[in-house]
Amino acid sequence: MSVAIEVKGLWKAFNVSHQGIGSIKGALVDLIRRGRRRQERIWGLQDVNLLVEAGESVAVIGRNGSGKSTLLGILSRVYKPTKGEVRVNGRVSSLLELGAGFHPDLTGIENIYLNGSILGLSRREITRKLNDIIEFSELGSFIDAPLKTYSLGMQMRLGFSVAVQTDPDVLLVDEVLAVGDEAFQQKCYRTIERFQKEGRTILFVSHDLEAVRRVAPRSVWLDSGRVVMDGPTAEVTEAYVERMRSLGEAKE
Amino acid sequence: MIADLKELYRYRELLLNLVIRDLKVRYKNSVLGFFWSLLNPLIQVLVITIVFHYVLGLRARVRDYSAYVITALMPWTFFQMSLLDASQSVLMHFAILKKVYMPREVIPMSTVLANFVHFLLSLAVLFAYAVVRGIHFKPMILFLPVVVVLQLLLNMGLALFVSALNVYYEDVKYIVAVLTNVLFYLTPVLYPSGFIGDEYFTLYRLNPIAHLIIAYQKCFLAGARQLDPRPLDFGLFGVTAAMCIGIAAAGYAFYNSRKWEFAERL
Repeated sequence: MSVAIEVKGLWKAFNVSHQGIGSIKGALVDLIRRGRRRQERIWGLQDVNLLVEAGESVAVIGRNGSGKSTLLGILSRVYKPTKGEVRVNGRVSSLLELGAGFHPDLTGIENIYLNGSILGLSRREITRKLNDIIEFSELGSFIDAPLKTYSLGMQMRLGFSVAVQTDPDVLLVDEVLAVGDEAFQQKCYRTIERFQKEGRTILFVSHDLEAVRRVAPRSVWLDSGRVVMDGPTAEVTEAYVERMRSLGEAKE
Repeated sequence: MIADLKELYRYRELLLNLVIRDLKVRYKNSVLGFFWSLLNPLIQVLVITIVFHYVLGLRARVRDYSAYVITALMPWTFFQMSLLDASQSVLMHFAILKKVYMPREVIPMSTVLANFVHFLLSLAVLFAYAVVRGIHFKPMILFLPVVVVLQLLLNMGLALFVSALNVYYEDVKYIVAVLTNVLFYLTPVLYPSGFIGDEYFTLYRLNPIAHLIIAYQKCFLAGARQLDPRPLDFGLFGVTAAMCIGIAAAGYAFYNSRKWEFAERL
């Protein structure tokens, strides 16, 4: 079996400034108070190792701020690793942001081209897949109307249709299933199941343990940027629930 | 840098689509639509001609004065709008930058290119204006594409600088607005370059945008009354050309050295 995702000794640091985006004034103040830097270095990921075979579905679980989104960000090349090696083989598509670059004044079709090219598709590829995208989005004649006339659900369906049609070898999914109505969620699950049958690799991030058990046979538990446990989903989720319960009791 | 350029080439269609989006969106909800891109420079030409020739009464004393102002104003607008639009561009796209991989430089570049399309349209207006005014073109007009390309490089380089810096210091967009206002008076738009005495003229032309605008006037208005009889100094223009190319390369390198931090800063 070939390897789809290989992460070796991955560390990721963030410089957190306590004042948000800087200003010249802030920089001057920093200059005057030299030695008392107002920036803090936070480790988002610490020595993470992960090997995912092609065709595998793996869930990543953990509390808020445990490093799940940072890991997906690095795999989708939005962040650069501070240390360590990351290799992803094949085309990566991420369902991190549905409808990236969508503009309310453009029509559905115009937005398909814009969003598709942001996701790395060529004009020709988009034209070839246009009918599939429109059909999958179930938007019908709305596809020629400006996006601002769409409901939120319609916008999500359109974004999802484009992302799915990028024909990814590796699909990164981040909590998108949590939003959207029942019908949309069912559509997402059916697509994920189809991808699994087609032998594509899926990395699935969620708080919803029910969804995790449904989608992924294997789970990775992250806490404070470290891998706590990596194994069969039943065991990992059980241990995770146990830990959360004991933490809850400790607080009380 | 070579690797960055290759990746940028791979994403050329995205760059094109972002430019198309900018152009479509700008006039999307107006009745006249894209025609506004032509109408804007056209109205400017009319107003300037009326003000300078009839209100200020310059027609009798300085023929072709308004032609100089118009020829300078078009590239100046391209310069100013490129920098102002670019300075905010990265912050305006932070939602995408935090979630999707792409060569980050396409964002400021697309804003400059969208302004470039508008500039090309205003050049068409400029040609029509020259024909209507009966200004004959001389061989110098063949030099125009060189000047246009150099200005595109200059705008691109500066746009990459300011858009990257604005991620770190949001004051940058205000500084850009103030500096371009100051630069406006160091550039022969409202007055002909003939007003600048010989002793300062070399220094004056070391400002690349001033020298480019002098070059635009020399290209377009070789057949008009010369308000500055000194010919284009090609030696010194070589220095300007080198500065434009240098600024473009430096801007690109600077932007690329920082572009992967943007998602973490925003």
